[in-house]
Amino acid sequence: MSIQALFDSIQHSALSTSITRLDHLFGALAQLAHITGLIFLLSSIVLVNLRLLGFGLTQQPVTKLARSTTRFIWLGFALLAISGLFIFVPAANIYYVNPFFWIKAQLLVMAVIVQLTLYRWVTTTNTPNPILAKSTAVLSLSLWFSIGISGRIIGFLN
Amino acid sequence: MSLIEFSQFLYDSETGTAIRESLFVFPIIEGLHLLSLALSVGLIVFTDLRLIGWFLRDVPASQLLRELRPWLLGGFVVQFITGILLFWALATKVVELPIFWIKLVVILLAGLNVLWFEFKWGRRVSEWDTQSTPPKGVKLAGWASLAFWIIVVVSGRLIPYLQYK
Repeated sequence: MSIQALFDSIQHSALSTSITRLDHLFGALAQLAHITGLIFLLSSIVLVNLRLLGFGLTQQPVTKLARSTTRFIWLGFALLAISGLFIFVPAANIYYVNPFFWIKAQLLVMAVIVQLTLYRWVTTTNTPNPILAKSTAVLSLSLWFSIGISGRIIGFLN
Repeated sequence: MSLIEFSQFLYDSETGTAIRESLFVFPIIEGLHLLSLALSVGLIVFTDLRLIGWFLRDVPASQLLRELRPWLLGGFVVQFITGILLFWALATKVVELPIFWIKLVVILLAGLNVLWFEFKWGRRVSEWDTQSTPPKGVKLAGWASLAFWIIVVVSGRLIPYLQYK
């Protein structure tokens, strides 16, 4: 099955039909959940990366800040993923032709990989190589904020 | 000049029209207004969570406030400037939305909460600073701030939602 056919079948799936049948209120709630998730995820990333860059909370160990923000990162990611699917499924065909949907998807894959490898490594090591720590922070911030920008552009192109 | 006339004046102005009709400037301004939330509201949420005793309980509240303040205020500056530009471009449309006025009033309340907090607790921060569970008044200010900013974000997101419908 081609990807286009896959997207078409997602849009015409039973899940899609049941989402479409829901009240418009749920559409608004999905948008609100998406922005709430964005705030939790991005601000957690900002808090830890500022520390990695030496721009804030330098008296606190990186490992501690990373540990205390983990649950907010997961909370944000869960809100974003669930509300994102809710917004995507009923309109899959519109997203298929939107170039920034694909840019966002690729950036998301990269951000998750960085999050699970480099970011995890420098935030669980007590004295990570400072250059590696700072590069990771720049990479992590650039990726997650680019995802936010792409998401905004998707809305303008749709 | 009435408010309706003033918003019409802004809407029809060269700057307002240019922002509204620009292919790139409008999305960029809106994008900045959205993403700077990560600094402004996002970081204030973390300080609020500290004040209610749910986050970094063993870090002195004053340290968290002091270290995050420049970033948080920077976020609010971006938010304020981009907010004014968005208003400039869409004035006549948003003044008709009750949700827009709700948002402004609640921002004002959040600001008053900050002033009250600074006046009442900020000046004698050393007395409660290292307590993992801060005094009732401090907690109240934290809860109030959380509630106000949630309403601001929700009403802010509903402005384009209601306007484009």
